[in-house]
Amino acid sequence: MTKNLLTVAVLLLAGTLFVSAADKTSYGKPLTLKERTKISAILADPAKYDGKRLQVEGPIVGVCEKRGCWIMIAGDKEKQSLRFKVDDGVIVFPMEIKGQNAVAEGVLSVTTVSTETLIEQGQKHAKESGEAFDPASVTGPKTVIMLKGEGAVVAKK
Amino acid sequence: MSVRWRHYNRALHRDIGYFSVALIIIYGISGIAVNHVADWNPNYSKSCEIIETAPFEHDERDSVVAEAMRKLGLTEEPLNYFRADDETAQLFYRGTTYSIDLPTGAVLRESNPPRPVLYEMNQLHLNHVKGIWTYIADLFAVALIFLGVSGLFVLRGRLGLAGRGKWLLAAGTLLPLLYWVWYTAS
Repeated sequence: MTKNLLTVAVLLLAGTLFVSAADKTSYGKPLTLKERTKISAILADPAKYDGKRLQVEGPIVGVCEKRGCWIMIAGDKEKQSLRFKVDDGVIVFPMEIKGQNAVAEGVLSVTTVSTETLIEQGQKHAKESGEAFDPASVTGPKTVIMLKGEGAVVAKK
Repeated sequence: MSVRWRHYNRALHRDIGYFSVALIIIYGISGIAVNHVADWNPNYSKSCEIIETAPFEHDERDSVVAEAMRKLGLTEEPLNYFRADDETAQLFYRGTTYSIDLPTGAVLRESNPPRPVLYEMNQLHLNHVKGIWTYIADLFAVALIFLGVSGLFVLRGRLGLAGRGKWLLAAGTLLPLLYWVWYTAS
Protein backbone atom coordinates (compact mmCIF):
# COMPACT_ATOMS: atom_id res chain seq x y z
CA MET A 1 0.00 0.00 0.00
CA THR A 2 2.74 2.42 1.03
CA LYS A 3 4.71 1.44 -2.05
CA ASN A 4 1.72 2.17 -4.30
CA LEU A 5 1.13 5.55 -2.69
CA LEU A 6 4.78 6.42 -3.17
CA THR A 7 4.60 5.46 -6.84
CA VAL A 8 1.49 7.62 -7.35
CA ALA A 9 3.15 10.55 -5.58
CA VAL A 10 6.26 10.28 -7.76
CA LEU A 11 4.17 10.10 -10.95
CA LEU A 12 2.08 13.10 -9.91
CA LEU A 13 5.24 15.05 -9.15
CA ALA A 14 6.76 14.15 -12.50
CA GLY A 15 3.55 15.18 -14.22
CA THR A 16 3.52 18.53 -12.45
CA LEU A 17 7.11 19.20 -13.41
CA PHE A 18 7.22 18.18 -17.01
CA VAL A 19 3.74 18.39 -18.54
CA SER A 20 2.77 21.73 -19.95
CA ALA A 21 0.12 21.82 -22.61
CA ALA A 22 -0.63 25.53 -22.40
CA ASP A 23 -0.71 27.61 -25.57
CA LYS A 24 1.09 30.39 -23.78
CA THR A 25 4.17 30.18 -21.62
CA SER A 26 4.93 32.86 -19.06
CA TYR A 27 8.48 33.77 -18.18
CA GLY A 28 9.36 35.72 -15.05
CA LYS A 29 6.98 38.16 -13.44
CA PRO A 30 3.41 38.65 -14.66
CA LEU A 31 2.74 41.43 -17.15
CA THR A 32 1.10 44.47 -15.60
CA LEU A 33 0.59 47.08 -18.33
CA LYS A 34 -2.64 47.23 -20.27
CA GLU A 35 -1.32 49.15 -23.26
CA ARG A 36 1.31 48.08 -25.74
CA THR A 37 3.76 50.36 -27.46
CA LYS A 38 4.76 49.81 -31.05
CA ILE A 39 8.43 49.06 -31.55
CA SER A 40 8.44 51.40 -34.53
CA ALA A 41 7.30 54.24 -32.23
CA ILE A 42 10.05 53.44 -29.73
CA LEU A 43 12.77 53.33 -32.38
CA ALA A 44 11.48 56.52 -33.99
CA ASP A 45 11.94 58.48 -30.77
CA PRO A 46 13.81 56.44 -28.15
CA ALA A 47 14.55 59.45 -25.94
CA LYS A 48 10.82 59.93 -25.40
CA TYR A 49 10.53 56.45 -23.88
CA ASP A 50 13.90 56.23 -22.12
CA GLY A 51 13.40 54.98 -18.56
CA LYS A 52 9.70 54.25 -19.07
CA ARG A 53 7.98 50.96 -18.45
CA LEU A 54 6.67 49.58 -21.73
CA GLN A 55 5.01 46.51 -23.13
CA VAL A 56 5.84 45.41 -26.67
CA GLU A 57 4.70 42.61 -28.92
CA GLY A 58 6.15 40.82 -31.90
CA PRO A 59 7.74 37.67 -33.32
CA ILE A 60 10.90 36.40 -31.63
CA VAL A 61 13.64 36.57 -34.26
CA GLY A 62 16.64 35.89 -32.05
CA VAL A 63 17.45 34.17 -28.75
CA CYS A 64 20.64 34.33 -26.70
CA GLU A 65 22.19 30.96 -27.51
CA LYS A 66 24.34 30.46 -24.44
CA ARG A 67 22.43 31.87 -21.52
CA GLY A 68 18.94 32.54 -22.86
CA CYS A 69 19.25 36.00 -21.35
CA TRP A 70 17.73 37.99 -24.21
CA ILE A 71 15.33 37.71 -27.08
CA MET A 72 15.11 39.87 -30.16
CA ILE A 73 11.57 40.96 -30.93
CA ALA A 74 10.73 42.04 -34.47
CA GLY A 75 8.97 45.36 -34.85
CA ASP A 76 5.69 46.13 -36.55
CA LYS A 77 7.68 47.55 -39.45
CA GLU A 78 10.22 45.66 -41.54
CA LYS A 79 13.92 45.78 -40.66
CA GLN A 80 13.22 46.80 -37.09
CA SER A 81 13.72 44.82 -33.92
CA LEU A 82 14.22 45.44 -30.22
CA ARG A 83 16.30 43.46 -27.76
CA PHE A 84 14.50 42.35 -24.59
CA LYS A 85 17.21 41.72 -22.01
CA VAL A 86 16.83 40.05 -18.65
CA ASP A 87 19.36 39.56 -15.88
CA ASP A 88 21.28 36.30 -16.27
CA GLY A 89 19.44 33.42 -14.69
CA VAL A 90 16.31 35.39 -13.77
CA ILE A 91 14.63 34.21 -16.95
CA VAL A 92 16.17 31.70 -19.32
CA PHE A 93 14.58 31.77 -22.75
CA PRO A 94 14.84 28.45 -24.58
CA MET A 95 15.95 28.42 -28.22
CA GLU A 96 12.72 26.68 -29.17
CA ILE A 97 10.73 29.91 -28.87
CA LYS A 98 12.43 31.41 -31.91
CA GLY A 99 9.74 32.24 -34.45
CA GLN A 100 6.94 32.40 -31.89
CA ASN A 101 5.19 35.58 -30.77
CA ALA A 102 6.13 37.36 -27.56
CA VAL A 103 4.60 40.03 -25.39
CA ALA A 104 7.31 41.46 -23.19
CA GLU A 105 7.38 44.12 -20.52
CA GLY A 106 10.25 46.10 -19.11
CA VAL A 107 11.95 49.45 -18.78
CA LEU A 108 13.46 51.01 -21.88
CA SER A 109 17.15 51.74 -21.70
CA VAL A 110 18.87 54.05 -24.16
CA THR A 111 22.64 54.23 -23.81
CA THR A 112 25.51 55.38 -25.94
CA VAL A 113 28.38 52.91 -26.15
CA SER A 114 31.80 54.39 -26.88
CA THR A 115 33.96 53.25 -29.79
CA GLU A 116 36.53 51.76 -27.40
CA THR A 117 33.88 49.70 -25.59
CA LEU A 118 32.41 48.50 -28.87
CA ILE A 119 35.83 47.29 -30.03
CA GLU A 120 36.42 45.62 -26.68
CA GLN A 121 33.03 43.88 -26.86
CA GLY A 122 33.61 42.86 -30.47
CA GLN A 123 36.98 41.33 -29.63
CA LYS A 124 35.53 39.49 -26.65
CA HIS A 125 32.63 38.16 -28.73
CA ALA A 126 35.02 37.13 -31.51
CA LYS A 127 37.17 35.26 -29.03
CA GLU A 128 34.17 33.46 -27.55
CA SER A 129 32.45 32.65 -30.81
CA GLY A 130 35.52 32.03 -32.93
CA GLU A 131 34.23 34.53 -35.49
CA ALA A 132 36.42 37.11 -37.17
CA PHE A 133 36.27 40.70 -35.97
CA ASP A 134 37.78 43.75 -37.62
CA PRO A 135 38.10 46.72 -35.21
CA ALA A 136 38.01 48.98 -38.26
CA SER A 137 34.37 47.95 -38.72
CA VAL A 138 33.54 50.08 -35.67
CA THR A 139 33.24 53.58 -37.05
CA GLY A 140 31.99 55.42 -33.99
CA PRO A 141 29.86 55.37 -30.85
CA LYS A 142 26.58 53.47 -31.02
CA THR A 143 23.24 54.08 -29.40
CA VAL A 144 21.94 50.89 -27.82
CA ILE A 145 18.21 50.64 -27.23
CA MET A 146 16.91 47.72 -25.23
CA LEU A 147 14.01 46.79 -23.05
CA LYS A 148 15.28 45.61 -19.68
CA GLY A 149 12.64 43.21 -18.61
CA GLU A 150 11.31 41.05 -15.89
CA GLY A 151 8.45 39.25 -17.58
CA ALA A 152 7.25 37.94 -20.93
CA VAL A 153 4.55 35.74 -22.36
CA VAL A 154 5.29 33.62 -25.41
CA ALA A 155 2.43 32.29 -27.48
CA LYS A 156 3.00 28.95 -29.19
CA LYS A 157 2.29 28.98 -32.92
CA MET B 1 24.44 6.52 23.93
CA SER B 2 27.38 7.35 21.67
CA VAL B 3 27.03 4.03 19.87
CA ARG B 4 23.30 4.56 19.26
CA TRP B 5 23.90 8.07 17.92
CA ARG B 6 26.56 6.79 15.54
CA HIS B 7 24.28 3.97 14.46
CA TYR B 8 21.51 6.38 13.43
CA ASN B 9 24.02 8.75 11.84
CA ARG B 10 25.45 5.92 9.75
CA ALA B 11 21.98 4.66 8.77
CA LEU B 12 20.80 8.12 7.73
CA HIS B 13 24.05 8.82 5.88
CA ARG B 14 23.64 5.53 3.99
CA ASP B 15 19.95 5.93 3.10
CA ILE B 16 20.07 9.61 2.20
CA GLY B 17 23.18 8.80 0.19
CA TYR B 18 21.32 6.12 -1.78
CA PHE B 19 18.42 8.50 -2.34
CA SER B 20 20.70 11.33 -3.50
CA VAL B 21 22.90 9.41 -5.94
CA ALA B 22 20.88 10.28 -9.06
CA LEU B 23 20.66 13.95 -8.12
CA ILE B 24 24.36 14.12 -7.28
CA ILE B 25 25.20 12.69 -10.70
CA ILE B 26 22.80 15.11 -12.44
CA TYR B 27 24.14 18.13 -10.58
CA GLY B 28 27.74 16.99 -10.99
CA ILE B 29 27.58 16.38 -14.73
CA SER B 30 25.60 19.56 -15.33
CA GLY B 31 28.03 21.46 -13.12
CA ILE B 32 30.95 20.46 -15.33
CA ALA B 33 28.92 21.29 -18.45
CA VAL B 34 27.88 24.80 -17.40
CA ASN B 35 31.26 25.53 -15.84
CA HIS B 36 32.63 25.76 -19.37
CA VAL B 37 29.86 27.85 -20.85
CA ALA B 38 32.47 30.23 -22.30
CA ASP B 39 33.81 27.41 -24.47
CA TRP B 40 30.64 25.72 -25.61
CA ASN B 41 26.87 25.77 -25.38
CA PRO B 42 25.92 23.19 -22.74
CA ASN B 43 22.24 23.17 -23.69
CA TYR B 44 22.09 23.21 -27.47
CA SER B 45 24.13 21.91 -30.34
CA LYS B 46 24.28 23.98 -33.49
CA SER B 47 24.01 22.90 -37.06
CA CYS B 48 24.55 25.30 -39.96
CA GLU B 49 24.30 24.59 -43.65
CA ILE B 50 24.60 26.90 -46.62
CA ILE B 51 22.20 26.16 -49.43
CA GLU B 52 22.99 27.85 -52.73
CA THR B 53 19.98 28.91 -54.76
CA ALA B 54 19.51 31.39 -57.57
CA PRO B 55 19.20 35.07 -56.64
CA PHE B 56 15.71 35.87 -55.43
CA GLU B 57 13.45 37.49 -57.97
CA HIS B 58 11.05 38.99 -55.46
CA ASP B 59 11.30 41.44 -52.62
CA GLU B 60 7.84 41.49 -51.07
CA ARG B 61 7.03 39.22 -48.14
CA ASP B 62 4.51 36.78 -49.60
CA SER B 63 6.49 36.38 -52.80
CA VAL B 64 9.77 35.83 -50.94
CA VAL B 65 8.13 33.20 -48.74
CA ALA B 66 6.61 31.41 -51.75
CA GLU B 67 9.89 31.53 -53.67
CA ALA B 68 11.86 30.27 -50.67
CA MET B 69 9.44 27.43 -50.05
CA ARG B 70 9.67 26.37 -53.69
CA LYS B 71 13.47 26.57 -53.83
CA LEU B 72 14.02 24.87 -50.48
CA GLY B 73 11.35 22.23 -50.92
CA LEU B 74 9.43 23.37 -47.85
CA THR B 75 5.82 22.26 -47.68
CA GLU B 76 4.64 24.20 -44.62
CA GLU B 77 4.23 27.94 -44.21
CA PRO B 78 6.80 29.40 -41.81
CA LEU B 79 5.80 30.31 -38.25
CA ASN B 80 7.07 33.80 -38.88
CA TYR B 81 8.92 35.94 -41.38
CA PHE B 82 11.37 38.73 -40.64
CA ARG B 83 13.00 41.14 -43.01
CA ALA B 84 16.22 41.81 -41.10
CA ASP B 85 17.67 44.30 -43.59
CA ASP B 86 17.57 45.23 -47.27
CA GLU B 87 19.31 42.02 -48.29
CA THR B 88 18.26 39.51 -45.65
CA ALA B 89 14.96 37.78 -45.05
CA GLN B 90 14.42 35.15 -42.39
CA LEU B 91 11.91 32.32 -42.28
CA PHE B 92 11.24 30.70 -38.95
CA TYR B 93 10.19 27.10 -38.62
CA ARG B 94 9.97 25.05 -35.45
CA GLY B 95 13.61 24.53 -34.47
CA THR B 96 15.02 25.82 -37.76
CA THR B 97 15.73 29.28 -39.16
CA TYR B 98 16.41 30.04 -42.82
CA SER B 99 18.32 33.28 -43.40
CA ILE B 100 18.17 34.23 -47.05
CA ASP B 101 20.60 36.55 -48.74
CA LEU B 102 18.19 37.79 -51.39
CA PRO B 103 20.67 39.21 -53.94
CA THR B 104 22.77 36.03 -54.08
CA GLY B 105 20.17 33.41 -53.18
CA ALA B 106 22.45 31.88 -50.54
CA VAL B 107 20.43 30.46 -47.67
CA LEU B 108 21.80 29.73 -44.21
CA ARG B 109 19.86 26.88 -42.62
CA GLU B 110 20.40 26.98 -38.89
CA SER B 111 19.07 24.74 -36.18
CA ASN B 112 19.80 24.43 -32.48
CA PRO B 113 18.50 21.12 -31.19
CA PRO B 114 18.74 20.59 -27.43
CA ARG B 115 21.52 18.25 -26.32
CA PRO B 116 19.77 15.04 -25.26
CA VAL B 117 19.81 14.37 -21.50
CA LEU B 118 22.30 17.17 -20.81
CA TYR B 119 19.66 19.80 -21.61
CA GLU B 120 17.28 18.28 -19.06
CA MET B 121 20.06 17.95 -16.49
CA ASN B 122 20.97 21.62 -16.90
CA GLN B 123 17.34 22.69 -16.61
CA LEU B 124 17.08 20.91 -13.28
CA HIS B 125 20.52 21.85 -11.99
CA LEU B 126 20.08 25.55 -12.76
CA ASN B 127 16.44 25.42 -11.69
CA HIS B 128 15.13 26.83 -14.93
CA VAL B 129 12.00 24.77 -14.41
CA LYS B 130 11.25 26.75 -11.22
CA GLY B 131 7.95 25.84 -9.49
CA ILE B 132 8.02 22.92 -7.11
CA TRP B 133 11.53 21.99 -8.21
CA THR B 134 12.82 24.97 -6.24
CA TYR B 135 11.82 23.23 -3.01
CA ILE B 136 13.07 19.82 -4.15
CA ALA B 137 16.43 21.43 -4.95
CA ASP B 138 16.44 23.12 -1.53
CA LEU B 139 15.85 19.76 0.14
CA PHE B 140 18.62 18.25 -1.94
CA ALA B 141 20.98 21.01 -0.83
CA VAL B 142 20.10 20.28 2.80
CA ALA B 143 20.65 16.57 2.12
CA LEU B 144 24.09 17.33 0.67
CA ILE B 145 25.03 19.32 3.76
CA PHE B 146 23.83 16.46 5.93
CA LEU B 147 25.80 13.94 3.89
CA GLY B 148 28.92 16.04 4.28
CA VAL B 149 28.60 16.56 8.00
CA SER B 150 27.33 13.06 8.86
CA GLY B 151 30.12 11.59 6.74
CA LEU B 152 32.62 13.04 9.20
CA PHE B 153 31.31 10.73 11.89
CA VAL B 154 30.78 7.48 10.00
CA LEU B 155 34.16 6.02 10.88
CA ARG B 156 36.05 6.09 14.12
CA GLY B 157 39.67 5.62 15.03
CA ARG B 158 42.65 5.83 12.67
CA LEU B 159 40.51 6.34 9.55
CA GLY B 160 37.97 8.60 11.28
CA LEU B 161 37.85 12.31 11.99
CA ALA B 162 40.30 11.98 14.84
CA GLY B 163 42.80 10.23 12.55
CA ARG B 164 43.52 11.01 8.91
CA GLY B 165 40.07 12.58 8.56
CA LYS B 166 41.09 15.80 10.28
CA TRP B 167 43.93 16.39 7.81
CA LEU B 168 41.76 15.79 4.79
CA LEU B 169 39.02 17.98 6.28
CA ALA B 170 41.55 20.77 6.83
CA ALA B 171 42.91 20.42 3.29
CA GLY B 172 39.41 20.53 1.80
CA THR B 173 38.54 23.60 3.86
CA LEU B 174 41.76 25.40 3.00
CA LEU B 175 41.35 24.84 -0.74
CA PRO B 176 38.52 27.35 -1.29
CA LEU B 177 39.88 29.73 1.35
CA LEU B 178 43.37 29.88 -0.13
CA TYR B 179 42.02 30.13 -3.65
CA TRP B 180 39.84 33.06 -2.64
CA VAL B 181 42.77 34.83 -0.97
CA TRP B 182 44.88 34.31 -4.09
CA TYR B 183 41.99 35.36 -6.37
CA THR B 184 41.31 38.62 -4.53
CA ALA B 185 45.02 39.44 -4.22
CA SER B 186 45.81 38.88 -7.91
